[in-house]
Parts: sequence; C-alpha cells; structure tokens
Amino acid sequence: MAEKAQKQMLTDIFVGGAREGWHMGVGSIIPNVMMAFIVIKALSITGAMELFGNLFAPIMALFGVPGEGAAVLMAAFMSAGGGVGVIMSLFAEGVLTGEHIAILAPANYLMGSTVQYAGRLLGVVNIEARFYPIMFGLVTLNGFIAMLLMRILI
Amino acid sequence: MYDQRFKLTSSFLEIAMANLNSHADGKKVGIGGYISLLTAIVFFSGLLQSSEWWGVLDFTTLNGSFGNILGGGTFRGTGGSGARDGFIFALSLVPTCMFALGMVRIFEHFGALEAARKLLTPILRGIMGIPGVCGLTMIASLQNTDTAASMTKLLHEKGELNNKEMHIFTAFQFSCGASIVNFMGSGAVLLTLTNIDGSLAVPSSIGMILGVIFVCKIIGANILRFYLNHLERKGAFESQADKNMEVAHG
Repeated sequence: MAEKAQKQMLTDIFVGGAREGWHMGVGSIIPNVMMAFIVIKALSITGAMELFGNLFAPIMALFGVPGEGAAVLMAAFMSAGGGVGVIMSLFAEGVLTGEHIAILAPANYLMGSTVQYAGRLLGVVNIEARFYPIMFGLVTLNGFIAMLLMRILI
Repeated sequence: MYDQRFKLTSSFLEIAMANLNSHADGKKVGIGGYISLLTAIVFFSGLLQSSEWWGVLDFTTLNGSFGNILGGGTFRGTGGSGARDGFIFALSLVPTCMFALGMVRIFEHFGALEAARKLLTPILRGIMGIPGVCGLTMIASLQNTDTAASMTKLLHEKGELNNKEMHIFTAFQFSCGASIVNFMGSGAVLLTLTNIDGSLAVPSSIGMILGVIFVCKIIGANILRFYLNHLERKGAFESQADKNMEVAHG
C-alpha cells in the first residue's frame, strides 16, 4: 500500500483530485445550482422575491447585504451548493454585488448543509437531543459573526 | 432505529479505525510538510495574484478565465434565466472545482495536512478545551464529515473524549463540515466572478474566507463550551455521563 502510494505520479494525484472535483460538479454543484436558478426564477416572476427582500431588508442591512441575501442563507441550510446557486442567480440579476458576495460567502458555508449534517454528524456522534436546537443556533450565530467580520475586512 | 444507525456507522468506524491506526505511529512531519502547508496557504491566499511570473504560485491566476466568443462575452451569454441558464452557469464552475481539488490533493500528498495537524495538536486544549488527540480527527473533519463523525464517536467510546469535549468538538465540525473540500469545490468559484468590465467582482480571497470560516468555527465551539460549563455548574449537564454509560455497555 505504502509502496503503491510512493510510486504514484504527481500528475496522477492531481488527476485523482480533479476527478473528485468533476464528480462533485456533476453530482452536486450542477443540480444544486440549477435548482436554485429555477427557484429564484419562480420567486421573481411571482413577485415573492421582492416581498422576501423587503421583509428581511432591516435584518440583512445590519450586515450590509440586501434583504434578498436572506434567501442565500435559507438555501444554505439545505445545501451549501444550493446557497452558492442562489448567490450566482442573484448576482446575475444584479441584486447582489461582489461586495455582498464576499460578505455572504463564509456564512453560506458556516450554515451550509446543516440539515444533512444533523443526521450524518449529530446523529452518528449521538449528540443529546436537547442540544440539537443549540447546534443550529450556533451555526446561525457563526454565520452572522462571519458576515460582520467580512464587512469589516473587505 | 438505533441499531440501523449503528450498522450504518460501523462501516465508517472501520474506515476511521484504519485511519487512526495508519497514523497511530505518528507519521513523521518533515520540513517538506511544512513547506507544502506554507505553499498551500500562499497559493490559496491570493497574495501573489498577478500576471507577472510569481502569479504561477497563485490559484486564481492559474485558474485563468474563459475566452470571449465572437461578438464579446463568455460562452454563457447574457440575458438567460431559469434552468437552462442555471445549467450553463453551473457548468462554468466545474473547472475551478476540479482544479482546486486537484491542488488540495497535491498539497496533501506532500504532507501539508499532516503538518497542520502537528501544529494544531498542542493548541487544541487552549483554543477549544479539547485534548490534542483530536488533531487528526480535526484535520479529517475539514475534508470529510462522515469519517470525522465516526472518528469522534470512536474517540468518545475509547474514553479519549468526555461528554463535554465530544459536544464541543462536534459543534466545531457541525458548522461548515468538510470545510476545505466543500469550499474549494463550490465556493472558490465565487472569487472568479467578474463584473461587466471584466474585472474581478468579489473583493476577497480564498485565504481570507477560509480564515474567517475557521475563526468562526472556533468561536461557535467556545460558545458551547461556556454554555456547557454553565449547565455543569447548575447540575444540568455531566461531562462524564455518556462516557460512563459507554464503558458500562462495552
């Protein structure tokens, strides 16, 4: 096993990683981003996105992001890739700027995919059930702290 | 329900055991590992982003850009929307994802993650109140949530982590699970977005974002640490409770 690892060419190692990236792209990024674009399109044509933006504008303004940015964080809970899709879609529509994306990006990952991880991590480790809401609260708080930090840093 | 979960977990545990054993002898971290770690930090930090020769040490520079189609603009075009625009846009993210993970594997091959583990191990007690033995699991958690979950469970069952430490460590892992792979896979592309004039849109770098993520993960774990200390003082939480239970079962 060790010999095999030693003989591995650098190019093979890179290609192995790139192949992982391809599978991630095809299996996760493309479907998630596409879904996010469809949802954003649906919300836009029904006027729900504007409503959503107005509703969350006061909270998101604290972080220097328009109200629609809350859609990114909500999608992130389901899947960080989906959150990226929402970011991209809102950027394409001109709702989010590069600065907004810089602020939202770490929060998207800190809160990202936690609905999935509740089973895959908290369930496997056997975290006490009473701490589940606290864990979700913490990731949300982490996201908010990250947005404030990024607002200062950029 | 518990049995089903346990069976599912057992396969992960085997992987985790193999991982622990393969590192149990303390794979030596040579100078190459530290150089690899330093290079990785510089490479993804954006510090050397330039069209000069030193740009060869920068991820964004080497990632390049798509060419323009006849009449201007990239192959994605403009004015698209919905599923079709989403698909073509997502397709444009894949090369960055492939390049990033390829490079992560190369730095890993040269011992960057081992060096990070070596550097982190002595400071874990100070920064999060968990023992140094968590170093390997912490590094694993930056790459794969499932493996790290199983390794954490194993550490708890072996008595290396008490109940409180397990909860704190899990809080660290829960926020931005598999940070490196997930962010490099789908987030690094955000840094490559361009404005209409072709300039880079997002005023940040992979290094800055990963740094903020890591700091916030530690902050979150510490908030839980203080909360559990508070509960313990009130008698509403026992650090050793589950550990004793596991020993009794074992």
